[in-house]
Amino acid sequence: MTTSNRAQSIVLVEDESELANEIRIELERLGHLVRTASIAQAADAARVGDAALLIMDRIVFGEDSLATLEVLRREGVKVPVLVISALSSIDERVRGLRAGGDDYLAKPFAIVELVARVEALLRRLEDVRTTKLRAGDLEMDLIEQKVYRGGTRIDLLPREFKLLEYFLRHQGRVITRAMLLQDVWQYHFSIETNVVDVHISNLRKKIDVRGVPSLIVNIRGAGFMLNANA
Amino acid sequence: MRMLEFFRSAAVRLALAFVLVTTVATTAVFGLVYLEIREANEKRNRLILEDEAAKSADHSLDELRNAFEVRLTHDLRRIDYAALFGPDRNVMFGNIKTLPAISLDGKAHFMAASPVGGGDNRLEPAIFVARLRPDGNIMVLGRSLLESLAFRRIVQNALAAGLAPMLLLALAIGAFFARRASRRLTAIHDTIARIMKGDTHLRLPLRSGSDAIDKISQDVNLMLDEIVRLLVQIKGVGDNIAHDLRSPLAVVHAQLERGLETSNDEQLRAIVKQALAHIDRAMVTVAALLRLADVEYGSKSSKFTTIDLSAICTDLFEFFEPLATSKSIKMTLEVQSPVQIPGDGDLMREAVSNLIGNAIKFTPENGAVNVSVTQEDGRPVVRVRDNGIGVEPAERDKIFQRFYRTESGHRVPGSGLGLSIAAAIANLHDFDLRFKDNDPGAVFEMVGRRK
Repeated sequence: MTTSNRAQSIVLVEDESELANEIRIELERLGHLVRTASIAQAADAARVGDAALLIMDRIVFGEDSLATLEVLRREGVKVPVLVISALSSIDERVRGLRAGGDDYLAKPFAIVELVARVEALLRRLEDVRTTKLRAGDLEMDLIEQKVYRGGTRIDLLPREFKLLEYFLRHQGRVITRAMLLQDVWQYHFSIETNVVDVHISNLRKKIDVRGVPSLIVNIRGAGFMLNANA
Repeated sequence: MRMLEFFRSAAVRLALAFVLVTTVATTAVFGLVYLEIREANEKRNRLILEDEAAKSADHSLDELRNAFEVRLTHDLRRIDYAALFGPDRNVMFGNIKTLPAISLDGKAHFMAASPVGGGDNRLEPAIFVARLRPDGNIMVLGRSLLESLAFRRIVQNALAAGLAPMLLLALAIGAFFARRASRRLTAIHDTIARIMKGDTHLRLPLRSGSDAIDKISQDVNLMLDEIVRLLVQIKGVGDNIAHDLRSPLAVVHAQLERGLETSNDEQLRAIVKQALAHIDRAMVTVAALLRLADVEYGSKSSKFTTIDLSAICTDLFEFFEPLATSKSIKMTLEVQSPVQIPGDGDLMREAVSNLIGNAIKFTPENGAVNVSVTQEDGRPVVRVRDNGIGVEPAERDKIFQRFYRTESGHRVPGSGLGLSIAAAIANLHDFDLRFKDNDPGAVFEMVGRRK
């Protein structure tokens, strides 16, 4: 997997040292620069453009990091922020996003979930306002709302279109089921059935070409990935 | 309900017993008064008659005739009998036509006699004394008991006139107390039923007074306070455990994953994969438990807006339909106009999603699942109906309990908290989540408590 900004590092604000350690190890294994910091240190790094992304625990040593995040956003600091929190109550996610978080993850989470979201957030910076998305010979026209595979038009239902668009925008990244539920369907709760897999499988049937490996592959224990070079 | 009926009949029995006792007591008082007076009256009459008969034994015939005349003239009430019969038993003078058939012993005897001075032949009760005089004549004195009879009638009438209103009064008082008692017991019963259904914040109603029922209610309320306190404590312990398990679980999960990435030992990798699967399950449960706690302790209206149940269910229907189709389950949707309620859209989606997910989970291939949103009697109703395995009658009370999984449900993966979460969310929205038998299958319906 590739990293976007080697010069900048991911700044991790997490007071549970063991968890912080696991996060750091996993992100470093994937080629990211990671450093742990206090809330104030993270804010300073963000201000001087020294942070590619902030991972902030909601409460660090009793201090609420959202207050600092709000200040940063008021100052116009645009660094992507992933808020992780032991607070999973109904309003917490909304509060975290309203304060300026770009994504919100409630504990307990699998590290793959966190990594997938980190990479999605890093990737988002690179997004330019394109009208066409491509993966190999698959082409999506965002204005016409049409999809072609090798020049042949593919009919997709509106939700399938959104699903594919999400994959195309996050090519080469691990997409978890929770991310799809959250970003494609706007469902902010867990679903104990394999309904997401069924949607993916239906999408595959429409976009895949016989004899060619599927564009969307399963990533064991994590989710899915769209990979044009697979 | 059986308890309620018992109390009702007990109250009614109490009222009837009250009426009975009142009636008997009243009748007894009247009867005693009557008997006492009658006895005294009759006894005196007998004594007077016997005494007079004895005293007049020595009188000459003329004296006797005068005495009789005076006696009968002065008898303004026409109740006295006095006559002298010859040895041939024919009346010589006096107001008795035939000699009464009593022994001539000078003692008072009771018998019926013709009315004094009256023309009719109706017989009246009277007492007579007959005495054989030394001259062979028979003197008879008597007194009609007509007055006694009249007195008896008066008493009877008074009793009848007094008893009817008394009975009515007793019945009314009895009914009043019975109703009041049963109303209070019904209120207590209803409250207990609601508490048992989960409204643990409710308490038994108290009147301002401090009678026996109030005292017991107070005791029960104190007991409920204690139970709720313990319940919250236990829940808190459970939630704290779940809370504290989050970080270790996340760390263990991460470490196992790292182990999986770095190890080439296939045997070890297989073990780690199994361990990861178990940790995953634990994390799902812990997350669901915390979610449940959040919903249960969550305050409504903080995020409540106007949401449309029809739109939510249509959206979820489209989300779940491919899953149903993949199991060859026919899934149908019935929504009409928007059904708007104040609520949290995310939470409502979660609740309905749990119901639909369950329905699909527990319905075998070629089954059917129906989702409908209606207004019934003005109440919003979301209904998820399936023709799957349903719920055994014995398990129906338990399915909303935390972690309860039906015998058949144990084979299907899940946290066992989905219905609890759905019920908690429904409750937060002033909805009731109910189970109904679909025979075969299950119906879960969320019904608004308010119209």
